[in-house]
Amino acid sequence: MTMLRVETIEVVYKRVITAVQGVTLAVGERQIVALLGTNGAGKTTTLRAISGFLGLDDARITEGSITFNGHRLDNRPPHQIAARGLTLVPEREKVFPNLTVAENLMAPVPHGGGDQRRQAERVYHFFPRLAELRNRVGGLLSGGERQMLAIASALMCRPKVLLIDELSLGLAPIVVDDLKRRLVAIRDELGISILLVEQSAAVALEIADYAYVMENGRVVFDGDRSRLAGHKDVQEFYLGGTGSARRSYRDVKQYRRSRRWYG
Amino acid sequence: MQLVVNILVLASIYALIACGYVLIYRVSRVLNLAHGELMMLGAYLVLATASLFDQHPALALAAAVFLSLVSGGLVYVFLMRKMTGEMVLAAILTTVALGIFIKGMVVLIWSAQQQYPAQALGVSNPSLSIGVASISLWSAALVGVTASTYASLFVFLRFGRWGMRMRAAGQNPLLAAQRGINLHGIYALAWCLSTLTGACAGILMALDSGFTVNMPVIGLKAFPAALVGGLDSLGGALLGALIVASAEVLLIYYVDPLLSDVVPFLVLIAMLIVRPWGLFGTREELDRV
Amino acid sequence: MFRPTPRASGYFRTTYAADAALVQTRTEKIFLLLFLIALAVLPFAAGPFILDLACQFLLASIGALSLMLLTGYAGQISLGHAGLIAAGAFTTGILARETGAPFWVTLPASALTGIVLGFLFGLPSLRLRGLYLAVSTLALHFIVVYLGGEYETKRGFSTGIVIEPPSFGGIALRDGRAWYFVLLAAAAACLLVCVNLLRSRSGRAWLAIHARETVAEALGIGIARYKLLAFVISSAMTSVAGCLFAYYRGFVSIEAFDLFLSIQYVAMIIIGGMGSLLGAILGAAFVVVFPYLIENAIRLLPNAQRLAGDIFAVNYAAFGVVMILFLLFEPLGLVGIWRRIQNYFLLWPFKQRPLAGGRT
Repeated sequence: MTMLRVETIEVVYKRVITAVQGVTLAVGERQIVALLGTNGAGKTTTLRAISGFLGLDDARITEGSITFNGHRLDNRPPHQIAARGLTLVPEREKVFPNLTVAENLMAPVPHGGGDQRRQAERVYHFFPRLAELRNRVGGLLSGGERQMLAIASALMCRPKVLLIDELSLGLAPIVVDDLKRRLVAIRDELGISILLVEQSAAVALEIADYAYVMENGRVVFDGDRSRLAGHKDVQEFYLGGTGSARRSYRDVKQYRRSRRWYG
Repeated sequence: MQLVVNILVLASIYALIACGYVLIYRVSRVLNLAHGELMMLGAYLVLATASLFDQHPALALAAAVFLSLVSGGLVYVFLMRKMTGEMVLAAILTTVALGIFIKGMVVLIWSAQQQYPAQALGVSNPSLSIGVASISLWSAALVGVTASTYASLFVFLRFGRWGMRMRAAGQNPLLAAQRGINLHGIYALAWCLSTLTGACAGILMALDSGFTVNMPVIGLKAFPAALVGGLDSLGGALLGALIVASAEVLLIYYVDPLLSDVVPFLVLIAMLIVRPWGLFGTREELDRV
Repeated sequence: MFRPTPRASGYFRTTYAADAALVQTRTEKIFLLLFLIALAVLPFAAGPFILDLACQFLLASIGALSLMLLTGYAGQISLGHAGLIAAGAFTTGILARETGAPFWVTLPASALTGIVLGFLFGLPSLRLRGLYLAVSTLALHFIVVYLGGEYETKRGFSTGIVIEPPSFGGIALRDGRAWYFVLLAAAAACLLVCVNLLRSRSGRAWLAIHARETVAEALGIGIARYKLLAFVISSAMTSVAGCLFAYYRGFVSIEAFDLFLSIQYVAMIIIGGMGSLLGAILGAAFVVVFPYLIENAIRLLPNAQRLAGDIFAVNYAAFGVVMILFLLFEPLGLVGIWRRIQNYFLLWPFKQRPLAGGRT
């Protein structure tokens, strides 16, 4: 069943620059959905449109709609969207630097109320490392710990959908593997959905049930994991090529893609 | 001995005013240069409520304090709310303009004369003696209010759920908003609390010795206290107030009474040269503005 | 940066001389000529009140231009400009009073004071930015004013220092018209200095520092040097304005240089429009004329008598409101409005300038 539905949205920056055009995507219950693409493809803009952070950059959703369990979310302020149960793990500045780990977890306002201490115990269960660091200040954590804390504090909002911007950015592969396993565990145990925005298709396709590929502000390709992993272009451009068949990225990029994907 | 008492009273005044600067700066990175004027507004509100609740000084004071709290909220809702996310300079200048506006309005309404709210309320200001030194009743009250304000603010920010959210919003407003914290609510709360504490300082000073429209200068002189301690640290403001007050009282006593208006600023400049982020402030603050 | 506004039809320049010329087209030349004639005729057509207003405006515009150079272009905030004007005025006052120094001594001396103070004001800017810098200049303002007050009380001039009008070759400068032309020349010189500074290397360096300091530094711009230069030039010009102010008024008193004056100068560049010399001039005109407008507006009100005593307060309040309105609704200031009107005619029937090309 679809929870979050983004319907042909168009996002325009400063009234003139169209960053995202006609993007449609859906996140179902207990699904991990990945949004892939290179820099400037419009992934982050889409995510911001969903989480309500567009207004800050003088951008607006000019067309289309975003609905979550039947409620319209487009162009609403961030804290209202958070109150509906969509929580973002941002790409940068993802923790409160001068608050301790424990305080970082207690500051969020939970969606639907409830006992924050019990929730904190559940979250520590997913990230035992954070329980050890309870009294450490957020700014002193390493990159991997920071990402854990960011996800953990997002879970404190009791989200229905977790929006993660660049899970693997700047992290060692071993840390990313660990985080991936935990995300799957979180999905299974808490029964929430996850929308994962990634540059690294290899990372995303290992855990995603479904994925969308964006290019130049449009969704150019989508499908479930096996379909995408088996696709020639995705292999070539996002999964690092297929041996001898790999060609110069620059030469073929625009031409071949426009032929195959735009028809 | 009298010198120590004087320092204590002046430090309490500065500390009570300075915590208003710190509260707003810490939460929204805005320097409120209208703080002195808002403080004076509190004192004028006592004049208004004194005529309203004729025979009940306590009621009149409570009403004035409450009205100041409301006016702080109104300033945020109608003015500063629109400046969120704007350049630092624009926000500061807005508060400057607000200060001018308030000053003009109070003179229009209450005239520029020296005012004595204690008379209007019908309360006296007896002098209490501690050993060889003496302190007036309202000054003593001011020291008490400052102490309890700091104690409760400290508990609120450290252990209160909303206090924690205020700290969170100050450090990373975007993330705070995404974690479901209503930023406008937090900012409005900061403005209310800041105006409340400022007005308390203004009211108590006015009760002690009357006041004129030049009262905001005291508000401005309290700013160095906030900065010396570190603009984002409450404990720092307390210590900063003590440092600035000691320097001022001692220099006036031993060197030149005319120095009164400039000592805090000399201390400020010395601090800016040596350690711009203040005694307890966060160093990266400097790079953020 | 100073660049002549691109005209609707585009640039058509074939020589470097044409590129460097301040006045570009024949129409511009004609308008400039007409404007200059108007300026020259004004003192003979206007009464003493208007003449005084014009002189005040010219003085204010020197201060506003120098503050614009510092804040609007180099991006260094100063809330202590009144302190610099006071410094210039007091240097003049003290020298004229104590040593009987003539005009041609006090003016350079004021400029020198400005240079020294600008250096001092600028030093904190090497470490501080934004809010902290604003506060440090504010503190310096109080210190300068304190020193002035100290001098007044110690020497027994508690009501102020009286200064004889300057004399050129034995002829004392007392006439309003003569003053008008002197101040006009000073303001024009100041404007020319600003224009030419801004299109030179230092102007570009200031803009780079304003935009992003770290990047500017990475590009090889000596941050410290150019920041200090901005402070020094700006405060030297401001001090000269202070010197002229002292002579024009014939009287220096510390009360004239309170914090409100600093705020008025900042208001000039906000109301005029940040980052535009034209804005500084428009803002200066607005702030100088505003109190008189308010006064006249009050006279029209029914219960004028009651308010007459509080005209100062009405002025204060109205000034605050105007500043707030500009900050909230027209951050580009009067220049923003002016450009919009200009664009309306230039672009008609279209509404918006295309993104590329031209400044928006």
